[in-house]
Parts: sequence; structure tokens; C-alpha cells
Amino acid sequence: MTTIRQQLSSPLQLVALASAGLIILPLGYVMAQALSVDAVVWGRLWTTRIPELLFNTVSLAGSVAVITLVLGVSTAWVVTRLEFPGRRFWEGALVLPLAMPTYVLAYLYSYLLGFGGPIEHLWQFVAGPQARLFSPHSYLGATIVMALDTFPFVYLLTRSALLNMNLSFEEVSRASGVSRLWTLWRVTLPLMRPSIVAGLALVILYVVSDFGAVSLLRYQTLTYAVFQQMTGRSDNSAASILSLFLVSLALLFLVTERWFRHRSRFYQTTGHYRSPQRHQCGWPGTVLATGYLSVILGAAFAVPAYLLVNWSFSMQAQATLDGRFMGFVSNSALLAAFAATGGVLIGLPLAYLASRRPSWLNLGCLQAAYAGYVLPGPVAALAVLVLFTKLVPILYGSVLVLIVAYVIHFLPAGLQSLEPALQQITPNLEEVSRSLGLNVRDTWRRVTLPLVRNGFIVAWVLMFLQTMKELPATLLLRPVGFDTLAIRVWLEASEEYYQLAAPAALLIVIVSLPALLLLVSKDWRAA
Amino acid sequence: MPYPCAASLAGRTVSLWLFVLTLVLLAGPDFPPSPTSAADKLIIYSGRAERLIKPVLDAFTAKTGIQVELLSSGTTELLNRLKAEGDRTPADIFITNDAGSLELARTAGLLRPLNMREIDRAIPQQYRAPDNSWVGLSGRFWIIVYNTTQVKPDQLRSLLDLADPKWKDKIAIPNSGSEYLQAGVSVIRATYGDERTKQFLVGLRDNGGNQVYQKSSQIVEAVAKGQVAIGIVNHYYVYRHLAMQPGAPIAVFMPDQQEGGMGSIMNVAGIGVIKQTKHLESAKLLVEFLVAQAGQKLFADLDKEYPLHSEVKADPALIERKSFRAAQVPLMRLAELREPTLTLIEQVGLR
Repeated sequence: MTTIRQQLSSPLQLVALASAGLIILPLGYVMAQALSVDAVVWGRLWTTRIPELLFNTVSLAGSVAVITLVLGVSTAWVVTRLEFPGRRFWEGALVLPLAMPTYVLAYLYSYLLGFGGPIEHLWQFVAGPQARLFSPHSYLGATIVMALDTFPFVYLLTRSALLNMNLSFEEVSRASGVSRLWTLWRVTLPLMRPSIVAGLALVILYVVSDFGAVSLLRYQTLTYAVFQQMTGRSDNSAASILSLFLVSLALLFLVTERWFRHRSRFYQTTGHYRSPQRHQCGWPGTVLATGYLSVILGAAFAVPAYLLVNWSFSMQAQATLDGRFMGFVSNSALLAAFAATGGVLIGLPLAYLASRRPSWLNLGCLQAAYAGYVLPGPVAALAVLVLFTKLVPILYGSVLVLIVAYVIHFLPAGLQSLEPALQQITPNLEEVSRSLGLNVRDTWRRVTLPLVRNGFIVAWVLMFLQTMKELPATLLLRPVGFDTLAIRVWLEASEEYYQLAAPAALLIVIVSLPALLLLVSKDWRAA
Repeated sequence: MPYPCAASLAGRTVSLWLFVLTLVLLAGPDFPPSPTSAADKLIIYSGRAERLIKPVLDAFTAKTGIQVELLSSGTTELLNRLKAEGDRTPADIFITNDAGSLELARTAGLLRPLNMREIDRAIPQQYRAPDNSWVGLSGRFWIIVYNTTQVKPDQLRSLLDLADPKWKDKIAIPNSGSEYLQAGVSVIRATYGDERTKQFLVGLRDNGGNQVYQKSSQIVEAVAKGQVAIGIVNHYYVYRHLAMQPGAPIAVFMPDQQEGGMGSIMNVAGIGVIKQTKHLESAKLLVEFLVAQAGQKLFADLDKEYPLHSEVKADPALIERKSFRAAQVPLMRLAELREPTLTLIEQVGLR
């Protein structure tokens, strides 16, 4: 038996190694390319683009972090510490903005906040006909859109921290005569700090790697610049240098997030305690809380969604719903299905080996698979492109290249669900099953499979939905005839044909909604 | 026998995984691009905006029954792609918004020379490669669009004047990745030299501020709304906007027509047949269709460009072609001028 096991484990080991190699190799290749670029090019980029891009990227991330901090923590506090009619509705509804890809929200806001748009009209009604709003195509515009789109990350983490917090700390503080506000400041907030910081690091990671919103709002960040260099220049040397900076920046925030998430666990596992009591609101409190949440959710979801529905039923938009549109739908579905299946197949041996035989090699392979987190779409595309053209040029321009880019990019999201699912199947359970007389096949069918099935489904669905929404890698790598819904939204929206972009955008939002259920239930990190 | 099922699970996983991987690898390269058979479709890589080229291609399909598959993307991006795909490219045709890119494709050996009388007869020599590897289809001029309520035409003269600080925050410009900006800067460099061009770009960068646009249609839109007073775009975007919204307060100013001025910067959109095409006859038919009077008329009417066929008239709304001069830099030179132009643009830090 032992010999058979060894024989079987080695091919699996090889498969895991190959998968990890597939993921880490493109990244390494781009980095190597960046470092081998002529010093003159480095010098030129260093004196012209890099300082501006770094400054833009970091300052956007910073301002979005501050706003999401305020929005996320305050909304979480309202729904966990107050009791008012409709509270449960708001608790669920506050994650809805995550169903809207950044490029959709960005294009809706470039209309809403745009020159002569509805919000400016409203403002002119108040401040006089000559009054002008700031342009959405700016630092401020990008900040607002990204903050509205990402604050649910902070909300979700803060909410769960507030729900799981041991109330006795606060009670001790209150019993010692400390005021409510001071308790919040000195006791509650410090306890939640790890969760909040983890949420913020996630938001920042998201902002740093976003392409959709910044490209439509014409705000120059590193990610956008990588795309522009790839599409505007005849060689990829500048793009790979910028990628190097981008990956380093993303890595910094990923490490921050992991560090604080690790710490945040420490606080939540202490002992048995009762859940916090909610403060019953009178009607003024109810009005205030409902008004506050309505404004935020209105801006982040309701108004944009209303606009999408409205535009989707306009005459121009209806005219585009022909066979060609159905082709975009089926392209999106097909690509996403392939990527999700590929992701599960590649993730499986990695997660399995890491949980069953946690040698340094297997754990290393698993960590390598998380590289996708620091590979923003354009960089993933660049990496795959460079690798395929050098090593297997025959595959360049095929669907496979695009799927590999998707898998690399979204595997972390899938692994988030695969890993815990596989950790559940301890050998003991299978041994019990065997000793009770089930054979190998039945044990697999009746014990192992039911245990891992849900984790697999969640992983598949998450990767499917993310692939469906993906923009930059699809733009750069799609083969002939493979335009997707996301591509159509971006192409139409970037020429300001707002109505024409609406049906595809609406469809993406609708299909994304079920994923939010999964998200709220467990895998909130994956949007 | 500590892990009986682990071994079995591992075995199954491996075999399933390898099976699917093999399947994907086998299927990958010949993956059908679309449900309908792609084999007899003409595959076109197009760097032109889809809505500018698709109606013309639809007319071709209607006339000949030849189906086309369109991949619309950036011109430079598609050129990079063609280079990377090399002999294996599925493309039959390359259509661009810029002669320089076509010439670069020709020098890279990607295009196939065409010996066709139809081309020689229809398109004047200066608008195509000597061996007809690429053929210009329509002419466009890089012009100033101005908002008629904010600017009088006598305030305008040369493109180079737009670097003047008086236009600060009043001008919208294309982003530096746009091929016609690159071509325009190349022409200015060839005419006035690097130093003068650099001053111009620095001024343009400062005046443009964050009014840097990815698409010309957005620039025209911004000028029409009065968000900015002027913009630099290709002429046809203005006329297309006016055709849809006849009352819009915008007009075209043809720059650099003053005494001793360089003349307006011209470029052509063009077509080249890919060397490896398996559909040479269909490809030739498309070229023939596009250079013939009917095809040229389509470009003129739909896209408001200047037809290159001498017997086809431009849309009457356009400024009469004979009434202004074009800059004297041959289109062929746009290719060799490209790389130093990009370096200059990057040095200045244009976005």
C-alpha cells in the first residue's frame, strides 16, 4: 500500500509543482524582463512617469481608504448596535455595491457628475446657473467612485468584528463609570482595529489594481499606465518596469492585510460570550439612521441601478439586443466557465497537498498560487503574453492564453473556498467509513464528496463571476470573435454611448447578485 | 494502511486533471472562434473605431456574400499582436487609422504587396506604399475644433499657437497613445525640428491639464458642451457630431494655412493584406470594393472623411478640399519618425 501511495503521490506532486510553476513563471518572467531593460529607459521613466504615477496611485488609495473607513465603520455600527424598523434589510442591502463592477459605476458617474449632467443641474438650481461642479474625470471623481464601490469590504469586516466582539470589555468600561463615547473610543475601536485595517488593506489592494474605473475616468494610475504602455508602444519594456512597481506596491498591501487579519483572529476566539445588545431607537433615531443609510446606498447602488434599468429599456439600447448581443453573452459564459473549471482543477491538487501533506514544498506551491492577488489584470495579461510568445508562440492568440491569464488572476479567490473545504476531510472520517464496511468508491461518494462539494461549488461560482466581469486582460488577450459583455460595456462607455452600454452592464450586475449571497455567507474577500 | 482513500482520491484527481488538461491543450489552438464556421470568414484586425468601419464592411458582405469577422482594438496593439503571432496569425486584413502603422507593418514584413490595376487607377501614388502593401482609403486632417460661442476663428491660426498660456484649461487633447497624435507630432518635428516641437508639447501639456481624452468623440463632445473652448481632433469627428446634432455650437478650423505655415496635418486610414492570408481572393475583393467609387463614397458619406479617389466628392458639409494646403511630409516617413517622436512625447511627459 505504501508503495502505491508513493507512486500516486509523486504524479500529484508533479501536477502541483507544474501548476505553481504555471502561476509563478509568468510573474518571474515579467520581473526579469523589467530588470533587464536598458538603464536609459529606466532613467527616462524615472524622471518622467514614475513619480507622477506612484503619487497618483498612492494618493487615490489613501483618499479612498479614508472615505471607506468612515462609510464602512459607521454603517456597520448602525446595523449592529442600533435596533430600528428595516434594520435587517439594510444589513443585507449594504453589500449590494459589490455587485457593480467599478467600470459600470464609473461610467454611470461620468454621466451623473458630468458636465451638464443631472447632479450639476441640481447644484445649479441651488447655487445659481453659473455654478460648476468638479469634473468626474479627476482625482476627486475617481475617489468617489472607488470609495462607493469598495466600502462594503470595510463594512463586512467591521460588522463581523462588532458582532463577534466580547461585550464584557465594554461592560467593564461602562461599569467603571466611563462614558459611552469614551468607551467607543478607548475600548471598542481598538478591539476592532485589526479587522478595520485588514478591510482597508483590501480596499487599497483593490484600488491599486483597478483598471475599469480609472480608465473611464481618465485618472492616471500605475495599472492604467501599464495598459497604456502595452497598447501604445511597440515594445513592452516600459510596461514591465511599471508592472514591477505595481506588483511591489500590491505586495506591500497584501502582506499588511494578511498580518492584520491574522491578528484579528486572535481577538475573536476567546471564550464564550453573549451577543451585543442593540440600542432601541425612537422615531428620530430611526429617521436619522434610515436617512443616512439611504443616502449612501442610493449613491452607491440605487441611483446607478435605476439609471441602468432605464437606459436598458431605451430605444437605442433595445435595438442592440440582437443575435450579436447573444453572442457576447455566450462568449462571456463560455470563457468564464472554462476559467472557473480550470481554476478548480489547478487549485485542487495545490490545496489538497497543502492540507494533507503540508511539507514546505507543498505549502510553497500553495502560496505561489496566491500570486494572482498582486497581479492586476493588465500585468497578468502582460505576464502571460510575454511568456507565451517566448515559450509556446504557437498558442499565442488562442483562447487558452486568455484562460491561463484568468486562472492566474482569480485562483486566489477560488482557493479561499477550496482550502477550507479540503481541510474538512480529515483522514479519520474516511477511516471510520472504511472500518464500517464501505469500500473505497462508496467512501469517496458518500463521505468525501459531500464534504468538499459545497466548497467546490462556491469556488467555481466565484471564479466564474469574476471572470465574467474581468476587463483589462480580456481587452488585451481576446481572440478574434471573443468580445464579452464586459468588453462591450467598456467600448461603448469609453465613447460615451451610455445607453448602448447599459444592457450588457445591467446583465453583469444581475448575474453578480447571487454571488453576493455567497459573499455574505462566507467568502467576502473575493469580489 | 493509514490513508486508504487519500491514495484513491489522489489517483482520481491526477487522472481527471491530466485528462482535462490534455483535452484543453488539444482543443486550445484550434478553438473555434465563434459558433459559425470561421474557416471561410475574412478575419479583419481593425484599429478603427468599430462604428466607423462596420457599416462599410456590412455593405461589402451584402454585396459579395463574404462574411467578415472583426477584431476592433488599438492600432499599435494590433500591430504588436500581428508581430507576435507571426506566421500563425489568423488575420487576413489589417485596417488602421494611421499610415505610419501600416508602413511599420510593411517594414516588418507582415503585409503582402498587391499588384492590382484597380488600386493604381483609384488611389493617387502618395497615399499608398510603392508596392501597394498598404493602400490609403480615406484622408483625415488633424484640425482645431472650437466652440463657436466661446471662440472666434480669427483667434486661431496655427496648431503651434495652442501652446500659448492663454489657452490654459481651455483645450482638450488626445492621450499620447493615440496614433494620430503621434503622427501629428511627427509631422511637426519633421517641419520645425525637435526643439520647437518640444516647446509646443510642453505648452500643450500644461494647457490641457487633465483634459486628456482617450477618444476623439469625447473631445468633440466636451467642446460642444462648452466644457472646453477648443480641442485637437481629426476633422470627421466634428462633422459626425454635427450630422447627429445639427445645432451643436462647434466648427472646424483648418490650421497652419497662414503665409509660410506648414499646412494642415494629413493622415490616411488604410488597409493592408496580411502576407499569410489563406483568403487572398476574398481579401483582394475587399480592397477592390473599398477603393472603388462606391466604397469610397461610403467612407465619404458615413464617416465624413475625404475620399482619396479623385472622382469621388467629399460630403458637401466639409471644407472644400481644394481650399486648403496639406503639410508636405510624405506618409511613408511617419514610420521612421515614430520612435523618436514617442521618446520626445515621453520626455515631455504627455499623458
